[in-house]
Amino acid sequence: MSARTQSAPSVRAALYEAPGPRTKRLIAVGTVLSALVVAALVAAVVRQFYVTGQLAPRYWSFLLEWPTWRFLLQGFVGTVEVALTAGAIALVLGLALMLGRTSGPRPVSAACRLVTDFFRGVPSLLLIYFFFLVVPQYGIRMPAFWMLTLPVALAASGVLAEVFRAGVNAVPKGQVEAAYSIGLSRWKTMRLIVLPQAVRYVIPSLIAQLVVVVKDTTVAYVVSYPDLMQNARVLITNYDALLSMYLVVSVVYVLINFAINKASVYVAHRTGVKIIR
Amino acid sequence: MAQESTTDKNVPVIELRHVDKHYGDLHVLRDVSLSVARGEVLVVIGPSGSGKSTMCRTINRLETIDSGEILIEGEPLPQEGRELARMRSELGMVFQQFNLFAHKTILENVTLGPREVLGQSKEEAEKYAMELLERVGVASQANKVPAQLSGGQQQRAAIARSLAMRPKAMMFDEPTSALDPEMINEVLDVMVELARGGMTMVVVTHEMNFARRVADRVVFMADGQIVEEGAPDEFFDHPKTQRARDFLDSIKGH
Amino acid sequence: MGLGELLGTYGQNYLDGLLATWSMTAVSFVFVMVLAVLVTVARVSPVAPLRGLGELYVQVFRNIPGVALLILVAYALPQLRLVLPWRTCVIVTVVLLGSAFGSENFMSGINTIGAGQIEAARSIGLTFTQILRHIVIPQALRTTVLPMTNLLIAVMLTTALGSQVPMTPQELTGVVSYVNTRATGGILAFLVSALGYVLTAFVISLVGNRLDKRVRILR
Repeated sequence: MSARTQSAPSVRAALYEAPGPRTKRLIAVGTVLSALVVAALVAAVVRQFYVTGQLAPRYWSFLLEWPTWRFLLQGFVGTVEVALTAGAIALVLGLALMLGRTSGPRPVSAACRLVTDFFRGVPSLLLIYFFFLVVPQYGIRMPAFWMLTLPVALAASGVLAEVFRAGVNAVPKGQVEAAYSIGLSRWKTMRLIVLPQAVRYVIPSLIAQLVVVVKDTTVAYVVSYPDLMQNARVLITNYDALLSMYLVVSVVYVLINFAINKASVYVAHRTGVKIIR
Repeated sequence: MAQESTTDKNVPVIELRHVDKHYGDLHVLRDVSLSVARGEVLVVIGPSGSGKSTMCRTINRLETIDSGEILIEGEPLPQEGRELARMRSELGMVFQQFNLFAHKTILENVTLGPREVLGQSKEEAEKYAMELLERVGVASQANKVPAQLSGGQQQRAAIARSLAMRPKAMMFDEPTSALDPEMINEVLDVMVELARGGMTMVVVTHEMNFARRVADRVVFMADGQIVEEGAPDEFFDHPKTQRARDFLDSIKGH
Repeated sequence: MGLGELLGTYGQNYLDGLLATWSMTAVSFVFVMVLAVLVTVARVSPVAPLRGLGELYVQVFRNIPGVALLILVAYALPQLRLVLPWRTCVIVTVVLLGSAFGSENFMSGINTIGAGQIEAARSIGLTFTQILRHIVIPQALRTTVLPMTNLLIAVMLTTALGSQVPMTPQELTGVVSYVNTRATGGILAFLVSALGYVLTAFVISLVGNRLDKRVRILR
């Protein structure tokens, strides 16, 4: 390895070359100024909390009690159940949609494409209203769990179908030709040669998609399913602590999703796969 | 570009004095001193990791140095700002990876500098650009974008881009290392032509035949140091140091 | 309820809903782009606190669920005596979420340029601002057409959050809930709104693909 590649900089590093003395002073001044502005912003927010009485202990003390967290944890379990079930359904459905689109006969292919584009093109909230408001009109009684899980799964399946398709497209064409040339059928080529590699390529993206699923589950309150968000709402009515509770729950969601994203990047890094979006 | 014509003929175009540089614990340039006279063609060779590319890149401050001095026509290399940009515009640089601007045509690549830095009109810049593209043999590709050209064509266009600034000196950082073998000569031919025309050149390369044929002086670097320097025939036929002998033997093996 | 009856009774609601979705999408997207540029500038700046703030911004708004953010903006901010109109609440939420993703798009657009071109630009004597203007920004814009097209569609879908606040006029998703709590609109009531989204998304991606073909940079 030459010294040059060691220094091969990221674009961010390349954009700003190593500063000279004048630039160094400028950056130092900018650093201090921007740090002050950030500090002032934080102070203003804290002050607003203070003057509106939101820092009062009664808004925060219940967060130090175990029953609060036990109840939130129950909600979290609900969130995990919905997310994993929806994720599993979406995985199967997404794979089926992709296979139908890429390897099915023409009418099947067109139908799969239509379904994929439909689920990608409508908001998951609209799908939830479909299962919550429309389906019961046809006399179908569904538990809240499924009224939430199915729409979340359908929305994700459209996206996953496209993720799988990108994975299939990432498998070098030469391998397909080689498989055909040793006499494998189209379907066998897909099953034995293309799919195993495509799946490996898309695993990091699949993990990243779990973030979208988790986010979609937060509308559970629409169907009164006890997930993390819904249980937080219950606590809010109990303790009359809206701001603090929602802030804490939001931070919890951000951390969960941050962790999922990190896991995706970690897996991508370990397997040497680029994340397909 | 208007330049003080009073510059003494004897002042080196490029001069490095006791230059040191570290990457963390790695000492990549050790007390490197070197000067390049007007019209001189200096070829820098050495094993990879010897610091030759880094040295080349310090000359227009693509790499900073920890200590020592770099002088361009006797003036210290500016550290930042417009002064640095102006000095860079007077030194051509050709990269291993060509680095043409991907979103601009070949002609736009060559005219960008003259128009933006030298303030030339579009017509003036294009006229000279076409002359240069003719000279390096890619005039017929002027309206294509870089990705449509072969590596050899891209590198020749990159040379034209540097020449368009009418530089005092040209640096070549392994200009043929990223090329397929059949394209190496078309680029070297352009460089030979430039050398014959009296251009001051610093060439980091592995092309020993080019060095022997064109260089006025060969500098051999290893482990960040200049180990040996001399006239090409003398260096290639009678290397004085064991390091140089080992290096020359190792590349003969190919 | 047949299509005729549905549209006869609620046609105006659907039309208003479609227009509300469109206008909120357009307004949001403009602010998304502006904010995405600012966040990206902060993220690539050599000033450490700005860089940190930019990264924090992206991590927070990339990962927070839309509903949670909307509730914070619409119901928690008033506790801090900051009361915004419902529609503004939705737009603010969509803009915060969208700009985080927009900045991610810009970052990867910038990263595809490669350090080499920037060094080459520097070597012919271009200054920092000239490099931005002639090399970095044009390429970043041209390589992000497709991702930004997808973001525009995502922004439209996110405006469905409007169904969670009492907004007037309602947007397309809110209309479905409105109609179905008053009548048995059946699957048609759902499909009319769904088509509004799907067809708009179709047109957006058609235009995006055309534009991308025109400006794509060969590499």
